[in-house]
Amino acid sequence: MKKLLLFTLACFSSSALLAQSYDSCTAASAETTITAGTYSVGTIDGDMPTSFCGGLTSNNVDFGEWIKYEPTQNYLVTVSSDLDTNGDKDTRLHIFVGTCGALQCVTGDDDSGDFTGTNSSSYLSVATFLAEENETYYIVWDDKWNDSSDFDFSLTEDDAPPVEEEAPVIFEQSSIAATGNYDSGLVDMNGDYLDDPVSISSTTININYQLAPDLDGTPNFNPVDITTTTADFLPSWSMAAGDWDANGYNDLLYGAGNGVTFMTANVDGTAFSETSGPEDVFSQRSNFVDINNDGLLDAFVCHDVAPSVSYINNGTSLIFENTNGLGDYTSGGNYASVWIDFDNDHDIDMFMAKCGGSTARRTNQLYENLGDINEDGTNVYQEIGVASNLADPIQTWSAAWGDYDNDGDMDCYVGSSTGYDHKIMRNNGDKTFTDVTVDAGVSTANIGHENVPGDFDNDGILDIYSNGSILFGNGDLTFTVYTNVTIPSVGSIGDLNNDGFLDFFEGSIFVNQGNDNNWIKIVTKGMGHEEDGLSNINGIGARVEINTASGTQIRDVRSGEGFRHMHSLNTHFGIGADTEINYIKIYWPSGIEDVILDPNINEVLVVEENTFSTLDLSDPKNDNIILYPNPTKDYLNLTDLQSLDDPIFSVFDINGRRVMNARLSDNKIDVSHLSVGQYVLRVTSGNKVLSQKFMKK
Amino acid sequence: MSSFRLFLIGILVIPFTLLSCGSDDNYIPVDPVVEDPVLESPVNYDLAAFPFTTLSEYNFFEGNLVELEPVYGVIPYNLNSGLFTDYAHKKRFVWMPDGSKANYVNDYSILDFPLGTILIKNFYYDNVQPNNTSQVIETRLQIKKEEGWVFANYVWNEEQTEATFDLNGSFVPFQFMHETELMDVNYRIPSGSNCLTCHKSDNDVALPIGPKPQNLNKSYNYSDGSMNQLQKWIEFGYLEDSLPEHIVSTINWEDEALPLDLRVRSYLDINCAHCHADERHCDYRPVRFEFNLSEDISNLGVCIEPHEVFDPSLTYIVNPGNAERSVIATRINSTEESIRMPLLGRTITHIEGAQLIEEWINSLTNNCE
Repeated sequence: MKKLLLFTLACFSSSALLAQSYDSCTAASAETTITAGTYSVGTIDGDMPTSFCGGLTSNNVDFGEWIKYEPTQNYLVTVSSDLDTNGDKDTRLHIFVGTCGALQCVTGDDDSGDFTGTNSSSYLSVATFLAEENETYYIVWDDKWNDSSDFDFSLTEDDAPPVEEEAPVIFEQSSIAATGNYDSGLVDMNGDYLDDPVSISSTTININYQLAPDLDGTPNFNPVDITTTTADFLPSWSMAAGDWDANGYNDLLYGAGNGVTFMTANVDGTAFSETSGPEDVFSQRSNFVDINNDGLLDAFVCHDVAPSVSYINNGTSLIFENTNGLGDYTSGGNYASVWIDFDNDHDIDMFMAKCGGSTARRTNQLYENLGDINEDGTNVYQEIGVASNLADPIQTWSAAWGDYDNDGDMDCYVGSSTGYDHKIMRNNGDKTFTDVTVDAGVSTANIGHENVPGDFDNDGILDIYSNGSILFGNGDLTFTVYTNVTIPSVGSIGDLNNDGFLDFFEGSIFVNQGNDNNWIKIVTKGMGHEEDGLSNINGIGARVEINTASGTQIRDVRSGEGFRHMHSLNTHFGIGADTEINYIKIYWPSGIEDVILDPNINEVLVVEENTFSTLDLSDPKNDNIILYPNPTKDYLNLTDLQSLDDPIFSVFDINGRRVMNARLSDNKIDVSHLSVGQYVLRVTSGNKVLSQKFMKK
Repeated sequence: MSSFRLFLIGILVIPFTLLSCGSDDNYIPVDPVVEDPVLESPVNYDLAAFPFTTLSEYNFFEGNLVELEPVYGVIPYNLNSGLFTDYAHKKRFVWMPDGSKANYVNDYSILDFPLGTILIKNFYYDNVQPNNTSQVIETRLQIKKEEGWVFANYVWNEEQTEATFDLNGSFVPFQFMHETELMDVNYRIPSGSNCLTCHKSDNDVALPIGPKPQNLNKSYNYSDGSMNQLQKWIEFGYLEDSLPEHIVSTINWEDEALPLDLRVRSYLDINCAHCHADERHCDYRPVRFEFNLSEDISNLGVCIEPHEVFDPSLTYIVNPGNAERSVIATRINSTEESIRMPLLGRTITHIEGAQLIEEWINSLTNNCE
């Protein structure tokens, strides 16, 4: 008996102190703080963590154990289960700060340990964080893994170091009442142009309507569950948003493995009606885009195992069509379409990221919009992957397009899905691209399927979100990769608190803590639903250009970037330390160009199409650019326009619809395919706009 | 019945009469049994007209269609390990035109089938609720035409009297009992492009998957007794007699008496190999599940880090000794469309298959460091 007691005592003294973990935040809160030392945790059977820190996921977690820690001064604190005695264990750790009921994540860890025990690698947890005097921290161990109970952990206090170099901006993770199975979008759903987290289940659209944030920027939401019919198809592969019926409320497209469901918002966005096609579509990336440029938003869905599909908007419904020749490889391999204007002629082209199967099937494609219109009303596209040097069989699920060197054209980051062979392709401005990967510094970016451009530090230079890493742009097509940013590996991008800094949503919210840089967000409101010849209501496909003292930046308005998620439809620019925007220019898909001079910064600007237009089609100027003949049957011969720099011509019909659009290669335009009638010819170059009526015989 | 017995009688009678013929110069009338019309397969062979609109037009089966009782020349077969398809049972048959036969290529490639070959695979359930009835859902054909293998899918009507051609893809929701468990399934009948996704070979050419010597090399309980399937095909005239002495074969993954690693490799071959092979649908992931390649278990993902990090805590595709930290176990257990594996052909978890994979992973002791 005595022997046994001695043994037990020896056992305790040789390993750790008595168990000091508690079953809830409040129970731990009522106890005294732990200090530096080693402690035991028994069976994990208390409250589960209130949110999941450090990008850790919530699945399979039912319980947690809570320990309070209050530092007596600022320390660099390490909490670790990475102890020899725990070798076979499998722990997971969250650190919170604050008061029970209002905890914020500090950090979290799953597997950073070194001790393996008999496992093939270590499943022990180590988290280091800067602990501040007078704050209360909670260490929470959860039960995600089987062998997660009955272990020891240590807490060590080191001198707080000088601040380490960290990413240009940091993100704070906190919980959100997003209740769906698919956290698919961060996009305005109630017409106030504020981004709302959207979470989908088969019978529910869960929307956290964005409210005014707290003074310190903490986001606020009004969570609402909208019941729907049971969706035939779920957004298991992708979701896109756009207001196809132009009633002021964005509609949703769910792309699933066997088909597509549309959820169309009612007159005030409070209910949705389902349309699910019978068509078999193995959906990948989906987009809303005005494919035939008639001012009505269509939908496009990449097909994994067959030619991609379109849903053409006839004004009252979306009509299923085969692919219009876009992404039409017979056995598919179409992973992500992104609609861009790569050649700066102000109409939308399309890049298709491809993957899987034979080399031909997985070779990336670039579709150039030739500016003419087919007999069926669709735009004429030509695939120029090889000529442009983008026909690459790299195996990618998406590419991030943006002007990373601010030289006025869209470059391309092709994120590899199979290795660290990502590519940066520089736009040469002549419809060709050059591989500049060697010096780009992108090789350590995470591998995966989600590659999206965004200016995350508002310095006026585009960055790239790539599978949990951010490639912060240096402005010269080189990047500095940060893989330790507290953001989700895949997620939706938008502005959760209207502070002009891009945030993330996936499971939790990840709020950008910002900096002093300035910004502007532009809402492009097309007016095609009210007037013939104008653009789709979201302005999708518009090119937005801003000019500040530092130079010119460009964006395309896109619905559906990356692979899976729906990001904000607002056009976001950081402008660094610049305090003035000289002008904003919007090239609408209709051909209308609006110029806004000297807008306010650090706020949202809503631009209605044709409000600041440089061209009144109903009363065109008569600039005498057409030499002869007018009326004409086949050709327009123009006056010498050599004084113009690389001009673009557009032809508008009597309804204002743009029926031709291209760069002017010589002073002769072939109009033989146009039907008889009255037209307006416009020639633009920079800020110069010339126009003249003509008659086609 | 049966055509088989009659066929055997025919075989027995022919040598006898020839022998008689050789031993006696007198003309002896041929026994009428030899010319019994049942010796010719009554399958309605019209290659140009294939695929027919209805299953019955082919005349594969005699009597009540739903009984799937094959006519002469339609030979049932089975595979060592079968693809999991939401617990559907399968009845497979092969038919070839009169006088043509398949050739052996190697153990792990499909036989070189003659023009006009038809592979017939019926998908059915027992114990469909509420009345514990049997129900045939679909019959999938692969027909070797001049232009190559074509798919033809026939969807059975509710009355179970006919199945009609449909390659558009559809769903059939119902409940069935799997042993003691009530299961809900929204059964997927594949579209043509779904078919090709699994069945494609180089340059998107469609091929069968199952009838490889490695999978056919097993005995089958025919109506006239048990026999090795390949021998049966040779005997019937459906396969050239040129097989090697030994065929490296898959095994029945369900047979717990057999070695665990072979069961796993057999299961992964038939369920996963057709996509994760060179130039196939998912060739870009660092795994190769073909039975002839999987003796090297790094091809199965053992200690291989995944490209696609949908959960950072899953450290390896197969993490020795730790199924819950393995991508493959997570995917094989998942029913989420974008996570689950296989991607097509399965909407519910194959509990026994997942257990097999987990058992195997947990039995591995390799050190990945």
